Amino acid sequence: MLHRRLWLFAALAILPTLAIFAWVRLFPIVETLRLSLHKWDILSRNKPFIGLANFQELMGDRLFREALLNTSIIAFGVLIVTIPLALVLAALIHHRTGSRFGPFNESAIFVPHIVSLVPAAMAWKWIFDAQLGPLNALLGVFGIPAQAWLFDPVWSIVCIIILCSWQALGYAVLIYIVGFRSLPESVFEAAKLDGATGRQAFWHVAVPMLKPITLYVSVVTLISAFNVYAQALVLASDSQGAPGRQVRVLVLDMIENSFRNYRVGYAASEAVVLLVIVLSLTLIQFGLLREKGRR
Amino acid sequence: MDKDAAAPLATREAARAHKARRSATDLLIDVVLVAFSCVMVLPLILLVANAFKSPAELLAWPPTLIPIQPTLENFRAVLSDTPLMRWIFNSLVFSVLSTLSILATSAITGYILAKFPSKIMTVIFAVMLATAIVPFEVYMIPLYFQVQGLGLLNSVWGLLVGYLVMSFGIFLIRQNVIQTIPDELLEAARIDGAGEWWIFLKVVLPLLRSALGALGVLAFFQSWTVFAWPMIVTTTRESYTVEIGLALFQTGYTVDLGRLSAASAVVLIPSIIFFVFLRRNFVKGIASTGLKD
Amino acid sequence: MTTYAAFTHALRRAAPAGAVSGLVTAALLATASGAMAQTITVWSGYPELAPFYTHVAEGLKAENPGLEVRVEAIPLREHERRIALGLTSGSSGALVLEMPGSTAARYIENELLPPAPDDIEAFVRADGNFNEFFIDQASYQGEVYGVPLFRGQGALFYNTEMFEAAGLTAPPATMEEFTDYAEKLTVRDANGNPTRSGWSMRLSGGGQGIAEKFWINLHQYGGALLTEVEDGKWKADFANEAGRKALGQYLENVHTLKTVTPELPADAEAFEREQTAMFIRESWVVGDIAAKAPDLPYATAPLPTGSIALPAQLYVSADGAEAEAAWKFALATNEPENLIWLLDNVGWLPNRVNVDYSPVTDAKPGFSGFLNVPEDYVFFTLPAIGPIEEVLTRLAARLVEAFGNASLAGDDAAIDAFLAEAAAETNSILEREGLLAQ
Repeated sequence: MLHRRLWLFAALAILPTLAIFAWVRLFPIVETLRLSLHKWDILSRNKPFIGLANFQELMGDRLFREALLNTSIIAFGVLIVTIPLALVLAALIHHRTGSRFGPFNESAIFVPHIVSLVPAAMAWKWIFDAQLGPLNALLGVFGIPAQAWLFDPVWSIVCIIILCSWQALGYAVLIYIVGFRSLPESVFEAAKLDGATGRQAFWHVAVPMLKPITLYVSVVTLISAFNVYAQALVLASDSQGAPGRQVRVLVLDMIENSFRNYRVGYAASEAVVLLVIVLSLTLIQFGLLREKGRR
Repeated sequence: MDKDAAAPLATREAARAHKARRSATDLLIDVVLVAFSCVMVLPLILLVANAFKSPAELLAWPPTLIPIQPTLENFRAVLSDTPLMRWIFNSLVFSVLSTLSILATSAITGYILAKFPSKIMTVIFAVMLATAIVPFEVYMIPLYFQVQGLGLLNSVWGLLVGYLVMSFGIFLIRQNVIQTIPDELLEAARIDGAGEWWIFLKVVLPLLRSALGALGVLAFFQSWTVFAWPMIVTTTRESYTVEIGLALFQTGYTVDLGRLSAASAVVLIPSIIFFVFLRRNFVKGIASTGLKD
Repeated sequence: MTTYAAFTHALRRAAPAGAVSGLVTAALLATASGAMAQTITVWSGYPELAPFYTHVAEGLKAENPGLEVRVEAIPLREHERRIALGLTSGSSGALVLEMPGSTAARYIENELLPPAPDDIEAFVRADGNFNEFFIDQASYQGEVYGVPLFRGQGALFYNTEMFEAAGLTAPPATMEEFTDYAEKLTVRDANGNPTRSGWSMRLSGGGQGIAEKFWINLHQYGGALLTEVEDGKWKADFANEAGRKALGQYLENVHTLKTVTPELPADAEAFEREQTAMFIRESWVVGDIAAKAPDLPYATAPLPTGSIALPAQLYVSADGAEAEAAWKFALATNEPENLIWLLDNVGWLPNRVNVDYSPVTDAKPGFSGFLNVPEDYVFFTLPAIGPIEEVLTRLAARLVEAFGNASLAGDDAAIDAFLAEAAAETNSILEREGLLAQ
């Protein structure tokens, strides 16, 4: 039983944080849920309650469906590129621990994760540029005809996946390296005594043991990729007098609906859909982890 | 290293051959890794290179990688024509204030949640973790109207409202307190007659120094690179953060790629230097995010 | 739809400036007694207009040393957003807001913008200052709310040297000629792929610009994206022959004739760098060319039947003495000296009629395509309805898809189906907002 004086301290000390939390997290989250059931255009004073009409309209909204599809493709695309690549890179870096290139490799792979997003996206926009970009120049050397990367409906999404993966990779690699370091040496020694090669040990020992980490990194990567926005905005914006194709993503559609079409309630219902997706992904992760724990 | 462990019984000859093969593989791995690392930083290098190119060279085909006639004109133009320094200043103030707020709230809350266990605290902790799952983008629009109501749009304070607390930070400190601070230590201090605030400031905080360092770097970079929130909260040129300034820089009628690259380089270089200096803290902070389970 | 052909004639006749500028001066003197040390902020959606507003402010400063004018000109989309948010929060101080009547209507409806004071209204309504069309655009239900300033009007820009090289002596006079010309002007590589577009069309990018540009072409064929059927009730008017022809022309140029592709450099920048032979744009390009490519051999011409005209007015959101200063600023923009400066240095067309612009128009023949238009030239503007942006943005998204769809080219039935579907979407937005005509 805790002393009353201690309790007073605890309550007083935690109160400011609680207040801030309620104010900048809980309240707006509840407000999002509430707004999604209303119609509101920012300007007018009345916000009529319209039930689930916003969600009903969302179902038939092709821009929203396009945004949802694009966002999902991007999120899972980033996942598919990032996770295997990060696993292999982390294994190699871990294998070469102590190598004189180690610090350089770790930093170089990690830097894209921390640099400001917009400058990085600009750099990629130039690389993908149909007229002046080095990517087409490089392909030209091999006789591959120039592509309009940012204009083609498929390539423009691939470009965003590449850009997002480039940024997400460093984080995944780092987490995996931590994972490799935490694996007990003895397991590998045992595998080697059984005659396993390095590659076999990687596949049959390390990968299964790293499963919780894989799950964690996957969910983090997926969730952050579902919030993709700046990348799509910058890659499509005007440069060289030729704007790229606007890849519509959820957050972009949300911002457009609230601040351009003045439909805040409708945008809130989109936010709720995003929330449901993210919650399901998290629940799936917990579910898989628990299942693993039971085995 | 486990180089020699694999062949304890082999002849010297075989061991040498094995070793040679081994080092050949390692060399190959090094080459692959270094090559890959170079590809990862290449876009940033190209960006910085573009910053030194003249308009004519930027239009040249095939594009040059290293500027043939490097010029500082882009930097001069960008620094004199745009409030770039102002944007950097805004970003810096916002990031520092946000970091301080996150450090303060995380330290005290994490400590309380770890050392004052009770049903209420468990509920509070669960709620905080649950909100951490909700992406900021989901509730930023209502939050925007709260900021508007306070009349804080277009100000660093308005930006700050979105980034005052960090659920993960509270979680991180709580785990750290549980792992590194034994109850006995606190009890001993209490028996000596120390007040609770004194214990927190003089006993707990010093022990959390390295965890707070890692969290601080994380928090700083979080607000330094945030995009969607300042995009809606700031609408005047004077109040933009660097990210927004650069993004809108390029949506004007015509864009000067050289200037844009120069501006980007000015922004990138400090953050990379900062990263290099704080790499250890950083790696530690990021790595700790993976230890949730 | 409003015709104001007479307006351009008046412009050309160019009444002597001195006689009328007196009115402005009188109005200025009447309000010059405002308090000292005030700050007003000008919000503009056109970064290139910042020097103009600064110029006006400097002129005012001579008489009002205490007046500080801050000019904040940012790209249009962000500008519109900040107006919506700034006006509802009311925390932005004394503002002079530049926007089209179609945007202002929603704020006026919600009582977020005040009507103009009497002296301003008198100036706007004064005989000979503005054409009826612009007074209408600055008014709401018969009351004046804004001061007309400039308009975005389209015309054809063409590179005279390229025309000559292709054996073309006059600008295209019909839409059919546009396609013919585009074909002749396109430069191709060995594989037949275009390296320089004959006619640069807006094919990609985000937002409503694509739909606006489409409307300009549609207009030449006699169609409109939206038509006001009865008072305040609208409907989509492009799922018809005009729409089929307009979209068909885009598709023919992109897919059949390949005179232009989405990824070729486009717009003013490409024109200035001689990467396209012709394109349709507003008059600010004249100023842009003068600044960035002064030696470019080019001319402008009116479009076959008419053009878009998006008038921008200045509105005020302020209280007390600052409101007075803000209105004074709005009025000062319309001084002949300032309007001439605007046309000369920025290139947007001033709306005030009774000012002699000939020193500028004589020196810059680029304005001829905007001012020397036929008697029956028809102008149209964006409707002042709430969901206009949503209508245009959604249509734009569909158009981008259609432009990229090679299978639509030459297939009238498929084009009709596309247009019918797009029009149904437009109508459903109108219906949701209670604006659909039966």
